[in-house]
Amino acid sequence: MTQAEAPPIGATKWGGDHATPTVAAFHRAIRAIVAEKLVGDPRRWEEIVFDPKFLPTAEDFAAVEAALLDTGYRFEHSAQISLTESPEKYKAAEDAETAAQEPGADGDTVVGHGDNALPMTTDTEGVVRFVSTIETVMDMLGDGVPPETIAVIDDAGGTLTAPILEGFTGILCKGGTIKSHLGVLSREFRIPCLMAVEVSGLREGDRVRLESSKPPPDTSAEAALTGPTDRARIWKLA
Amino acid sequence: MPTRHSYVDLLETNMLIRQSSDVNWWLCHYRTVQESALFPVPAYMMLSYLNAYYRYPELLRKIDAAMPAEEIGDRARETCTTLMSTPVGWCLHNFYLLGREYLMDLGLVRATDAVDDLVFVVDFWKRFMLAYHRSDAHLTTGSFGNRSQAFTERQLQVFESDAIPTAPGDRLQTAVAQFMATASQYALLAHCESRPGIQNEGPYRVGGNEMMIRFFLNLAEGDYPWLDGVAGSVPHGNLVIPIVMRDTHFTLLDDWSMFESEPAYDPANVAAVGLYTSDYLAEGFVPIGMSSADELADTFEDLREILRAATADLWKVIAGWTRDQMLDAGALTYYAIVRDLAHIAGVYDQEDWFTLDVRAQRFKPLMNDEYARDALGEMLGYLSYSHQASHEYTMARYSESTSHMESLIPYSVLTDDEFTATSGPIQPGWSSLPPKTALWTTTQGRLTQDELNERARKFRPQVLTEPYRFLDDEWVKTHWTDPRADELYRLTQQHSRTLAGRGAGLRRADLPGVKE
Repeated sequence: MTQAEAPPIGATKWGGDHATPTVAAFHRAIRAIVAEKLVGDPRRWEEIVFDPKFLPTAEDFAAVEAALLDTGYRFEHSAQISLTESPEKYKAAEDAETAAQEPGADGDTVVGHGDNALPMTTDTEGVVRFVSTIETVMDMLGDGVPPETIAVIDDAGGTLTAPILEGFTGILCKGGTIKSHLGVLSREFRIPCLMAVEVSGLREGDRVRLESSKPPPDTSAEAALTGPTDRARIWKLA
Repeated sequence: MPTRHSYVDLLETNMLIRQSSDVNWWLCHYRTVQESALFPVPAYMMLSYLNAYYRYPELLRKIDAAMPAEEIGDRARETCTTLMSTPVGWCLHNFYLLGREYLMDLGLVRATDAVDDLVFVVDFWKRFMLAYHRSDAHLTTGSFGNRSQAFTERQLQVFESDAIPTAPGDRLQTAVAQFMATASQYALLAHCESRPGIQNEGPYRVGGNEMMIRFFLNLAEGDYPWLDGVAGSVPHGNLVIPIVMRDTHFTLLDDWSMFESEPAYDPANVAAVGLYTSDYLAEGFVPIGMSSADELADTFEDLREILRAATADLWKVIAGWTRDQMLDAGALTYYAIVRDLAHIAGVYDQEDWFTLDVRAQRFKPLMNDEYARDALGEMLGYLSYSHQASHEYTMARYSESTSHMESLIPYSVLTDDEFTATSGPIQPGWSSLPPKTALWTTTQGRLTQDELNERARKFRPQVLTEPYRFLDDEWVKTHWTDPRADELYRLTQQHSRTLAGRGAGLRRADLPGVKE
């Protein structure tokens, strides 16, 4: 098959659109680079494909990203280091409020829900402390984790809080599932932990109670078809 | 000229790709969601796949020439290496295939490219896996219904008989539970938020109970440059912990080595426990601190304190890394997950395994957090890459989708010349991380790279020398009175507190250490 007879770069008979805007933009741009390299090259694909000069350069790839940034688009970050090193590329961090508050029967306020990673016989009380940055972890590593800390953590990884995790009284994790690394570690350390927490109105120093007595969610493939299961509650104490 | 491969070669390769592709979708959908605020995990995963695509074929050929994959599989079964269900069972061929799929969507390779590489990588993986799983005779943990029983009776008798009983709340049980937590945390950190350092094997029936063999790997100064210094006081590279669980049925051990049980795993249900070390230079599994319950509790407590200190020290090192260093460390942790293949074969080279090939390095400017997350999500979750789409009558296993995660080789390569054989030799590479400076901690002492390779080339576990290598449990079934069976069992029992010298004649009820 000659280059002229070939379908557009990257295209297949049954392929559709990409599912996400960034991938769509990047892959469209890279395919255009590839097409441009092939234009006028008399060699067959088989002679070109692993020629080191055929692969786009790092500068080509940097230009792909720059082109999207030039439109005003800004990326979502996941690792703190990404935002710290390249704030111009990323959206500013937001402290999203994700749950409506509702009065509890006993006068305390239900401020959120989560999936219980470690079922206990009792609920767990403590003091909210937000642990989202390397600097906070470094401070707690030096000074010790304050007593009764219920750590509110943005991500479900097990490494950001690795050196201080053991000192937490409880964990409210805003991401992940009970199978995420933080959920696994909380079970190993026997630290009450709610994952995928949706919460609102919590401030540093608030006193809260986690419904750690709640059974864990059913995470089987079958359960995934039947929708969300009953979630553990989080109360802000008066 | 068409490819040199036969029709049957390609039929088998494509079948194995499709089997993996099916299971991958199930794993990615139901088994985990990973993220990290410390490491740019999706970005380093994408880079690792690219490095695997460009480097695995040549490195595996180098390894295979020194020692065939099936012999390495035998070695891995007899000792503790990092070559277990996740590293080889899932990562070896899938990392290569995912690198290929990504490059295909960019238009940088076609399904007919690097056919020799692809057939070889899949064949190497198959030969290793068949040998590693010789005892249970399955290709993967997934194909065994999410279970792995790679060990033989002679190994399992030692694990069970030597295991020291615990009771709810006693000192040993508490020490084990606390050690497991600390070791899990350290292993996740040392592996840059990934799981290669935590593996499991089993379950095995032990009377009315079940046994899972748990592994914590790459703990000491070894291949990872970032453990130099911070892990200097960690005495063992690998720790092997057989646990006998009461009132617990392990319902699942997946290809990522994560288990589930009914009821959920509870340290209070640990009925007996052992502790061993082992590596590619060891004669089987060497017990640590197992002369009594008190000594074993002491050992777990001491190791826990060592790992706690190492966790804090390592975290401080990592917290000071640049994003580029985090990318490199994570990508190399993933990509080099199969490097014990080279260690066993005695052809390990730090440059091969801890640098990113110049061809993979080029992609770094693309790998911001969002793009990497979505590129990975499209490839593993949405299956929205162009080559992943099959015809509209397709109903894929598990997903019911019209798409498959990993593309097959078109059979047209058997009849025409529109294909390439290989992506070519390894290109130079580099890493932004400080170079490795410390020695390697092994069961034969602290060694240089040259010493490691020299000893590995000379070493052959006794149970894999003639005439023992092919004396398996099927042979023992009818030859337990044969003197060769006795000697084979004695070789495995040589470090055992309770079974040393007892030979092949014991049934489970005869084991002196059985606690029922």
